[in-house]
Amino acid sequence: MQTAELEEIVSSVRRFVREAVVPLEAQIDETDDFPPEVVKQAKEMGLYGFAIPEAYGGLGLSAWEEVQLVFELGYTTPAFRSLFGTNNGIAGHTLLEGGTEQQKQTYLPKLASGEWVASFGLTEPEAGSDPASLQTTAVRDGADWVIDGSKRYITNAPVADVFMIFARTSPDVPASRGVSVFMVARDAPGLSVGPRDHKMGQAGAWTADVYLDHVRVPHHAMVGEQEGAGYVTAMKSLAHGRLHIAALCVGMAQRLVKESVDYARGREQGGQPIAGFQLIQAMLADSQTDTMAARALVLDAAQRFDDGTDRKLGPATSKYFASEAVGRVADRAVQIHGGAGYMRGIAAERFYRDARLFRIYEGTSQIQQLVIARQLINASRSEEG
Amino acid sequence: MDLSLSPALREFQDEVRTWFAEHLVGEFARHRGVGFSWDDAAWDVRVAWDRELSAGGWLCLGWPKEYGGRDASIDEQLIFQLEYARANPPYRATASGQDLLGPTLLAFGSPGQKSRFLPRIVSVEDFWGQGFSEPGAGSDLAGLRTRAYRDGDEWVIDGQKVWTSVGARANWMYVLCRTDPDAPRHRGLSLLMVPVDQPGVDVRPIRNIVGGAEFCEVFYTGARTPADMVIGPVNQGWQVAMGTLGTERGTTLLAEHLRTKREVDEMIEAARAGRRTHQPVLRRDLAQAWSDARIMEWNALRLMTAIKGQGIDPIVQASISKVFASEAHIRMGETAMRAEGATSELVGAGYELDRLQQVFLASRAESIYGGTTQIQLNVLGERTLGLPREPRPS
Repeated sequence: MQTAELEEIVSSVRRFVREAVVPLEAQIDETDDFPPEVVKQAKEMGLYGFAIPEAYGGLGLSAWEEVQLVFELGYTTPAFRSLFGTNNGIAGHTLLEGGTEQQKQTYLPKLASGEWVASFGLTEPEAGSDPASLQTTAVRDGADWVIDGSKRYITNAPVADVFMIFARTSPDVPASRGVSVFMVARDAPGLSVGPRDHKMGQAGAWTADVYLDHVRVPHHAMVGEQEGAGYVTAMKSLAHGRLHIAALCVGMAQRLVKESVDYARGREQGGQPIAGFQLIQAMLADSQTDTMAARALVLDAAQRFDDGTDRKLGPATSKYFASEAVGRVADRAVQIHGGAGYMRGIAAERFYRDARLFRIYEGTSQIQQLVIARQLINASRSEEG
Repeated sequence: MDLSLSPALREFQDEVRTWFAEHLVGEFARHRGVGFSWDDAAWDVRVAWDRELSAGGWLCLGWPKEYGGRDASIDEQLIFQLEYARANPPYRATASGQDLLGPTLLAFGSPGQKSRFLPRIVSVEDFWGQGFSEPGAGSDLAGLRTRAYRDGDEWVIDGQKVWTSVGARANWMYVLCRTDPDAPRHRGLSLLMVPVDQPGVDVRPIRNIVGGAEFCEVFYTGARTPADMVIGPVNQGWQVAMGTLGTERGTTLLAEHLRTKREVDEMIEAARAGRRTHQPVLRRDLAQAWSDARIMEWNALRLMTAIKGQGIDPIVQASISKVFASEAHIRMGETAMRAEGATSELVGAGYELDRLQQVFLASRAESIYGGTTQIQLNVLGERTLGLPREPRPS
C-alpha cells in the first residue's frame, strides 16, 4: 500500500473515531450496547476486513500498517474495536493462516464485508491462555465430526454467525499435533450461546459462553481440512492478535495522556493549574514515556512480523509491555484526576476499568513472560547446537 | 510499643471477647465484614449493629461518660479495635459521626453543642455527612468557595460540596464555608452544622467506580442554620477542620488496616481455589501482600503509640501510614485480581462485585481521598523534613 493511501485511511478512521465514537462513549458504557448506526458506518469504512488481504475483499493492511490504524481505534472505548476485532484478528486469521484456498475464497469476503461476524473459540473453563489443556473433543463419525465441549468468554459470541471452534481430535498425541479447528455455524444443531457476561469494564464489547452438545459438522468444515493443524494455526493467529492488542493499548494510552494533560491544565489548586506541580508533571512524563516506548516497540515488532524475521518474541514483548504500560498510564490518569477520576462519567475512570482486561486476554502477562523467556532459552540452546 | 497486657487490661479484653461472642450472631454474623465508610451495603443491618454496640456501651468508648462514652483509656480503645477487627463485624453505619465529627466537637465544640449532639451520635440517632471537598477544592481544601453569611440569627449557605460519603443517609452535615471573603485563603473559614431537611439542601448521588452511588454531591442554595451552629470560633474553621482530618487519618486507620490481613487470606484462598498457588510470580506477590498487611498493622500500632504521646508526632505518623497503606492496598488489589484469574473480569448482574473485585476497584480511591499521596509527600517533605517549598511554576 502506498504511504499516501495508508495516511488517508488512518486519518479518516481518526476523524470517525473522534467525531462519531468518542461522544458516544459514556452512553455505550451505561447501556452495554453499541448504536447500530456506528456498526453500519464501520462496515462501510471497511473496518471489518482491514487485516484481510485484498484478494479476499479486505483492505490488506500489513502488520506495520495495521498497528497504525489500531493506534487510532484504541483512542476510544475498546468496545468499538471489538465489533470487528475478531473478524480481522484471531477468527479471521484462523482462516487466513489455516484455511484451504477454497475456504478462504468462500468465507473471508463475508468476514471482510461484515456480512458475517466470526468468533474465535479457543478459551475454555479449564484452558485459558494455555491451549494445550483443551477439553473440547471432536470425534470422527463417517464423513462428519461430532464436537462436544464448552467455550468461555468468547468475544462477539452473542452476535456471531460463525465460530472457529478448537477441539481435540487426537487425545493421544501432544496438543501441537492433536488439536483441530472447525468452522461451526451459529444455527448448527447442538450449538448454544450462554447469556452475555457482565464484565468489570469494556461495556459494549460482548462475550459469552458457547456450548457444543453433539454438534455434527462435515469434514470440509475443518479449517485446512487437515487434522491436527489447529494448534499451530491458533499460535499464528494469536501472535498476530497480540500485536493488534498491543497497538490498541498504545491508542488508549495516548488518549489517557491527553485526558490527563487536559485535566491537569484545567484543574486549579491554590490558584494555579495542578499541571504546574512537579509531582503531577512526573506522572505525566512517566505516562508519556511509557506510551512512546510502547508505540516504538509495537512498530518495530510489526516490521519484523512483516518481514518474517520474528513472529513470536516481538508480539509477546509488545503485548506484555503495552498492556502493562496502559495499566500504569490509566492508574496515573485516575490519580491526576483526583476524586473525579473515581467517578462514573469520567473517561479516566472508565478506561481504568477497561484497561484491566488487556493484561488477561490474548495471553495473560504471565503467559507472555513464559513465551518470551522460552524463546530466549530455546534460541540460546540452538546456537550452542 | 509494649503489647503485654496488665491484669486489668486482660480482664477488659475478655469482656470485649465475651460480648462479641454473645452479640455478633444471627443477621450480624451473616454480614461479617460487610460495608465500608463510604459503602452503604446492608445499611439497615449495619444501623441495627451500631445500635447493638451502643446498647452494650461499645460506641465512642473514649468519650466522657457524660456524653455517652465510657472514658476508656487509649490502651482499652486499642484492645477494642484489635478485638473488633478480629471479630470482623459489619462496618459501622454511623462511623462518620463517631470517628470524625464527634472528636471535632469534643475538641472544639461549645458545652451546649456537645451535650446536644454527642449523645445522639452514641445512641445512633443522627447520621452525619461531611461537607469539605468541592468540585474545585479537594486535597487543597483552602481553595473552597462555598460561602456563608449571617442573616439575623442564622447563617445562610450557598455553594456545592462533593464526595459526601453516604450523603443520602445523612440528616445533618458539617460544612466548611468561607465566612470572610476578604481574608487570606486559610483564614476566613468556619465549620457549620447544617440540618439536611430543608429546601435549601439538595443531596444528589454520584456513581463511582465500583458502581455504587454512596458518594453524593450536595448543593446549598440559601440553606439556613442557627447562628450557634458554628464549631469553634468564627473564621477559624481551618484549624477545626484540620483537627478532624488528623483524627480521620488516625484512629480509623487502625481498624481498616487490620481488615487487609483478612483480605490477604481471601486472596490466598482464591489462588488455591483456582489452582494457581504453584505460579512463582503470584506466590511472590502474595507474600508481598502478606508483608505489606503486617507493615500496615505495625504502622497502625505506631500511630497508637504516637497518639499516647510516645514517639513521633501523630499527624506525621498518620501521614506515613496513609501513604504506605493506600499505595500498598492498590498493589494488593492488582494481586487479588491475578489470584482470581480471568473470572476477576466478570461481575454480577447490576455490577455486583465480589470481595476481591471490591478491593481492586475501591482501593483506587485511597491514594486520593483524605489528601492525595502527592499532597502527603509534599507535606512530609516540606513540614517534616524541612525541605524547601516546591518552586512556584513560572
